[in-house]
Amino acid sequence: MLRLNPSAANHAHLLLTLVLLFLSLSLYEPIQLWVLLLVVCAAVMRFSLYMNWQKHQLSVRTLNLMAVLCALVLAYFGWELGLLLGMLNLLVMASSLKMMLLATRRDYFQLIGVQFFLLGAALVFNQNIAFSLLYAGLCLLLLMSLAFHINPSASWLVLSKRVATLCAQALPIAVLMLLVFPKLGPLWQMPTGKGAHTGLTDKVSPGDIAQLARSADLAFRVTFEQEVPPPASRYWRALVMEEFDGNSWQIHPYRQKLMQRHWRTGSPFTPQVSGAAYQYQVIAEPTQQRWLFALDTAVSNEQHLWQNHDYTLQSKIPLQSALAYRVRSYYQSNLPPALEQLDSHLNLQLPERANPKTQKWAKQLWQANPSPQRYINAIAAHMRQQGFSYTLKPQPMPVDPIDTFLFEQKMGFCSHYASATAYLLRLNGIPARLVTGYLGGEMRGERYMSVYQYDAHAWVEWLSDDGWQRLDPTAWVAPLRAEYGLEQAVAHEQSFLADAPLSGLRGIAVFQALRGLLDDMDYFWSRWILGFDRQNQQDLLKVLLGDLSPVKLALFGLGTLATVVLLLALYHIRSWLLIKGDLPNWYYQKALAQLARQGIHRNKGQGPADFCTQVEAQVPPLSAQHFSALTRCYTNLCYRQLSSEQHKQQLRQMRDLLAKLKRSLGQGLLT
Amino acid sequence: MQPQIQQAVKQIGQLIIGKQQEIRLALSCMLAGGHLLIEDLPGMGKTTLSHALAQIFGLDFSRIQFTSDLLPADMLGVNIFDNQQQSFQFHPGPIFSQVVLADEINRASPKTQSALLEAMEERQVSLDGQTHTLPSPFFVIGTQNPLHQAGTYPLPESQLDRFLMRIQLGYPNWQAEKAMLQQPHHERGQTLPTMIDNMLRASLQKQVHDVHASDAILDYILRLVTFSRESELFANALSPRASKALLLAARAWAVTDDRDYLIPEDIQAVLPAVAEHRLRSSQADGLGAASLSHKLMECVDTMAA
Repeated sequence: MLRLNPSAANHAHLLLTLVLLFLSLSLYEPIQLWVLLLVVCAAVMRFSLYMNWQKHQLSVRTLNLMAVLCALVLAYFGWELGLLLGMLNLLVMASSLKMMLLATRRDYFQLIGVQFFLLGAALVFNQNIAFSLLYAGLCLLLLMSLAFHINPSASWLVLSKRVATLCAQALPIAVLMLLVFPKLGPLWQMPTGKGAHTGLTDKVSPGDIAQLARSADLAFRVTFEQEVPPPASRYWRALVMEEFDGNSWQIHPYRQKLMQRHWRTGSPFTPQVSGAAYQYQVIAEPTQQRWLFALDTAVSNEQHLWQNHDYTLQSKIPLQSALAYRVRSYYQSNLPPALEQLDSHLNLQLPERANPKTQKWAKQLWQANPSPQRYINAIAAHMRQQGFSYTLKPQPMPVDPIDTFLFEQKMGFCSHYASATAYLLRLNGIPARLVTGYLGGEMRGERYMSVYQYDAHAWVEWLSDDGWQRLDPTAWVAPLRAEYGLEQAVAHEQSFLADAPLSGLRGIAVFQALRGLLDDMDYFWSRWILGFDRQNQQDLLKVLLGDLSPVKLALFGLGTLATVVLLLALYHIRSWLLIKGDLPNWYYQKALAQLARQGIHRNKGQGPADFCTQVEAQVPPLSAQHFSALTRCYTNLCYRQLSSEQHKQQLRQMRDLLAKLKRSLGQGLLT
Repeated sequence: MQPQIQQAVKQIGQLIIGKQQEIRLALSCMLAGGHLLIEDLPGMGKTTLSHALAQIFGLDFSRIQFTSDLLPADMLGVNIFDNQQQSFQFHPGPIFSQVVLADEINRASPKTQSALLEAMEERQVSLDGQTHTLPSPFFVIGTQNPLHQAGTYPLPESQLDRFLMRIQLGYPNWQAEKAMLQQPHHERGQTLPTMIDNMLRASLQKQVHDVHASDAILDYILRLVTFSRESELFANALSPRASKALLLAARAWAVTDDRDYLIPEDIQAVLPAVAEHRLRSSQADGLGAASLSHKLMECVDTMAA
């Protein structure tokens, strides 16, 4: 018979409700709005039951009807959601319905199980340190709820102590698991999320990057192993754009086709490199895209990366979560053209849409300076002398954008300069392309730096006789940009992050320091906890064990196991010692357990002789005889004064009798 | 069972039929040297039992019928001026006897009750500055009616504590009562032979003190008393004196069983007699309510957990 209101003043139910509510709210992005509403409804209902404002639960019939309706709605939307999101929505929806129904122990345990699973699932979507802390907190709440369920009358203090003890005991195991458990690859692929993403795009129109420059979000972090490049050469290449349509740049479709062909045939590109290299690890923030960031001629031999012919790196799966990878960048030579014919062919294509003034001017300029280097210098001189300026607030240029930029506005952002310069180069037969990425990086420690979205940049690469040369036209008009970053470069117009909330606080040292501290914490979290992958694991094992060999690995595994066993043994040693010190009792308890299997139970208050009389009436004579002899031994051992010789003899006898009793009872069972 | 004691139990059993356990408890109480309180309704054989006990042990016996106007002097004795010797002569009262039956002890005034209980504890009587030692052995067998009867002064807990055991006889069962009715003629003043003389009693009493109590048994006793102190079931907890009494009574019980070590069953056998009157509030209904000592036995494990 159910109680009318099982939730009244039931802390276990309240905590469970809170966990479901907070968990669902933290997943507002992947969960659909109507499911969230359902969760809130369930929480409100459960809370009013808890407060006993409302004494009756919804009837099962109403709930069944609701469940059917919800299932229909979910089935309707589910097609668009894909498997993972669909299942997540289904699970949250089902647990909110179950929350409305919650009455029996069984319901409760089902819900608890599902909540733990949902907590795990939530970590797929949110991984940063704040969310991780939130989920850890929710996990503790769930444990508290369980504790309250088992012991409803205990106080908060007692239960929190117990839960804390349990967690403290579990922590070393968790750490051990993190360190030594084999790292499996992802079992499923995340669907591409909806919602706005900050970051670069694969199509750049002049002005786009200016939008990005207003964002102070983190783009990626880098840890250098030895040498850190000087600020002026921190050009992080992300995308190389070779297709120009007169207005915007994008990756050339032929390039993409080529890459896919190489990918399918599984023939990776191994660049020819020489000279010194920077070695570093990058942790890229999730972008839902594949491209990655690296300096100069970047080479990486990570399994999950793909090396492109234009020396950019790509991830094999979109970045749903932060991704760490190691790169070596050879900075001493120019980028050698990987497929020279193709490179120059692609990078000489001109759009049909004309920028007539520019074309004319380019011809004149080439006639005056008929070599690439001189031609470039002439362009640079022109821009310096004609009062070009660098701005974060460029005017829109809808028609003939390059004409407008070069001859009317004369103000622009990096992408305007890069686009115009690359176009000018192409007009005179010099292969040139636009590269987007980030320029700069804020040193956060001796060896590591953070790169923010406002560091986004675009520049030009042109093909000279000894490879692709980097050319940053922005540096002609705003030399501060490369050396000191965007903030200095646009200081005159005070537009740096002007729209960001709390931008006024940036100047205050305390907030700067706080932001730095948070960044550092977040970095540590990403670098060592989230970024702890198979490579790190192997490195750690290498540090611990030296060179890896199967024997050493096996020994290490055994050692780990032995450590665990040892810890457990230490934990249990007291009870073992107790058994050892009280062997008669232990034997007797064993005998009792044997009898309990036959359905004969000793009452707490029964003395051994008393119980023996009861047993003799209930078991076959042989067993009865053994048990009464065993009881006699037990009585002698426990209550009589015995010499140590007698003691030993009785103990031996007791052990034998226990075995005999076991056998005789077993036979009794067979016949 | 120890043969002589078995004989004694059998003998008394002929007078009080079907109460073997109670008779044996009473004998153990005497062997332990403790005083005995028999509580029951009138006509249950309280007096018969006390008589029989005195006769079995071959001790001299006196009976004091307690009434509300009984004065301490009536019981302890008085100093009377002897004209011939020109001095006060002590005339001992009925308490100067080896077995004293204090009949209906709860009818006496508290003053008289205290005098008796003091004598029980001290085993001597002080009167006008003179101390008179009571004979040895000295047993008091108190009887009392259940407390709710009219005109009684219930003994306070502190004084109930002085009795090692309290037993209740209760109604005999069908067969026992029938056998009693079938008995030919019950002569008044019929005497029982002395079964346990002084020699045997002394040796048995020595045995009582030699019974081995193992750690396990002491732990069991401690678990019992601790439980009584921690649980809310009991009006009064068991005092250290109670745990001593429990051990002593159990030892005596073990001797009646002809055993030189204690087992939990010994404790359990004497527990209702030893502990019940110490656990129960004196205000509570004497009979009828569920037995607290049985409750205690059920709740406490005989073995170490």
